[in-house]
Amino acid sequence: MKFAKCILIGAFLIAALPGGLMAQDLELNGWVRNYTGVLTGADGEFSIVQNALDLEMGLAMENAGFLVNPFIYQSPGEDLDIGLREAYLDVYTGPADIRIGKQQIIWGKAEGVFITDVVSPKDLTEFLLPDFDEIRIGVTALKTDVYLGYHTFEVVWIPVFVSTIQPVSDSLWAPAFPFQVPARINPTEEFDPRIENTELFAKYSYLGAFADFELMGGYFWDDDPTPHITDRTFSGSELTAIEITPRHHRLGLIGGSFSMAPAGVVLRGEGGYYTGKFFPTADPADADGVVERDFINYAAGIDLAPFGLIVSGQLIQRIILAYDDAILSDQVDNLVTLLVADDFLRETLRAEVFAYIGLNNPNALLRPKIVYDIKDGLDIEAGANVFLGNEGQFGQFDENDMIFAKLTYSF
Amino acid sequence: MNGRKIAVAVLAVIFAILAPSLVFAEPNGREIIDNVYNRPTGKDVRSKMTMTLVNSRGATRERVIDQYLKDYGETEKMVMFFLSPADVRDTSFMNWSYDDGRDEDQWIYLPALKRVKRISSDSKGDYFMGSDFTYDDLGDRHPSEDEHRLLRMESIGNDTVYVVESIPREDDYLYSRTVTWVVKDKWIGLKKEFYDEDGDLLKTLDIRNVEKISGYWVLTDLEMHNVQENHTTNIILSDVRLDSGVSDDMFSERRMRR
Repeated sequence: MKFAKCILIGAFLIAALPGGLMAQDLELNGWVRNYTGVLTGADGEFSIVQNALDLEMGLAMENAGFLVNPFIYQSPGEDLDIGLREAYLDVYTGPADIRIGKQQIIWGKAEGVFITDVVSPKDLTEFLLPDFDEIRIGVTALKTDVYLGYHTFEVVWIPVFVSTIQPVSDSLWAPAFPFQVPARINPTEEFDPRIENTELFAKYSYLGAFADFELMGGYFWDDDPTPHITDRTFSGSELTAIEITPRHHRLGLIGGSFSMAPAGVVLRGEGGYYTGKFFPTADPADADGVVERDFINYAAGIDLAPFGLIVSGQLIQRIILAYDDAILSDQVDNLVTLLVADDFLRETLRAEVFAYIGLNNPNALLRPKIVYDIKDGLDIEAGANVFLGNEGQFGQFDENDMIFAKLTYSF
Repeated sequence: MNGRKIAVAVLAVIFAILAPSLVFAEPNGREIIDNVYNRPTGKDVRSKMTMTLVNSRGATRERVIDQYLKDYGETEKMVMFFLSPADVRDTSFMNWSYDDGRDEDQWIYLPALKRVKRISSDSKGDYFMGSDFTYDDLGDRHPSEDEHRLLRMESIGNDTVYVVESIPREDDYLYSRTVTWVVKDKWIGLKKEFYDEDGDLLKTLDIRNVEKISGYWVLTDLEMHNVQENHTTNIILSDVRLDSGVSDDMFSERRMRR
């Protein structure tokens, strides 16, 4: 039924083109992919068997344009997953570009982490393993960019909050539970789509010979709900169970980023000061098990090209302010990312290793892969996701090491 | 007649005797390459570039790019929009280069990342999109970076050409030497040979078509052949427009994203 709806929407869009525009003006492209992954530690159990179609239909005119990007994911034995990654209209008027509709909005300079890149929420159904354009969820927004030379002013208004999609509780990728006792988890508290519940972001950016930089601010909902304790069960004086109610909270953020390339080396930095974040605490005197603290999140990165290789490294640090020892997260959380890549056979073969390395509880995710262009538009990719450690953001998935292959045809 | 007047008279006689030979003397290697480098190419250019890669087995791959270039005097700005193949469609690349020797500034927009990213420009020896052209081959190498020597003159078709050898001043350049065939008076390079660090022939560049567009000579069909790998890249420029008033806005984040 959903598939039929997609076809109908596509047909409507083509039929509804303004007079004078022919269907051949419409650009249609996309990709088809098979993605198969096997867990290496579970007797050959498949972690994923997925067929996917991603279509982009767009039209660009002198003063306007639109894009519709439906997708279909199909896995054996599961319902079709059909949706719109993006669907928006563009209006270009003088120095301003206005985009309205469902769209992915990406900010910041850091790679693989989210510091000031907080406008579009994430689909974490498969943790951080999909390509980032598949992890990001489009938000229905009104975005206005005003360009004055190399200066850009951007304002984003999101009328209806969209949350990050978390893995279901029996998923391979469900995160470890932070509390020590069994819990009954209520559905996440919803709130009405009202004007006072909207989100607002603003950014100034500059692109120039010496450096590029951004200054940004936002008043928005935390995409990741905080687990509030809303009931406790005791056996005598011993706590035996809790009831959890996930709630979203308002966050404030000011931040910025820069990149520059002195002597052929790219230096990147990005940082943000957050207010209004709630962290789980073990303080028994705390009624709902969470405390509000401001925190700082920043990344410093460098991109090099020694011996023709692509090498990129980042240090990411999160610092909780006014810290107390009962907070279940570390006061200072340190993460390193590292990318080493090279191209061979006239750029038809690419080999790379990307790694997230958590330094607090030593744990890591190593992602080696090779991608070969069989012919223009047809790629085959083979790789592995190797989790190291026993705890932490990556070590908690130590049992989920996998090898995978993808075959993608782009058109 | 005082001494000064005598000196002037002697100089005048010497000039009168030598002048005809000075007028008809051939330029030296540096002057020829200077003339090629300084040949007017317009304040701005827009064109569509179709690049066909052919490997030793005859298999072909094709890349199509819209490119815009504008000369600001001390700075030259260039932006490319990739049209095909499908897996790189909507990628764009921007380069700002400077006459004062500063490193170039480069940015790339990858549609999957949806952001413009500054990248390292320290890759002149890398091959452009898997072709037989390095980034340096496609750029404007300044004549002062090589020692030039006129080897001989030849005839190609109806043209008289200078054959000039260029040896890089730096030790670790991509090529140990290049030899260029330059058409007399038009100052167009018709052919070029590139020799590797062992002095063996590595690549040959043939200009297969030159057109006069808006009063400028434009190379519209080039073929680079790597003789050691038997791999060939053909570049054809079409829809070439010069001095058409390319907007400054073209070299901006806004255009790269759109």
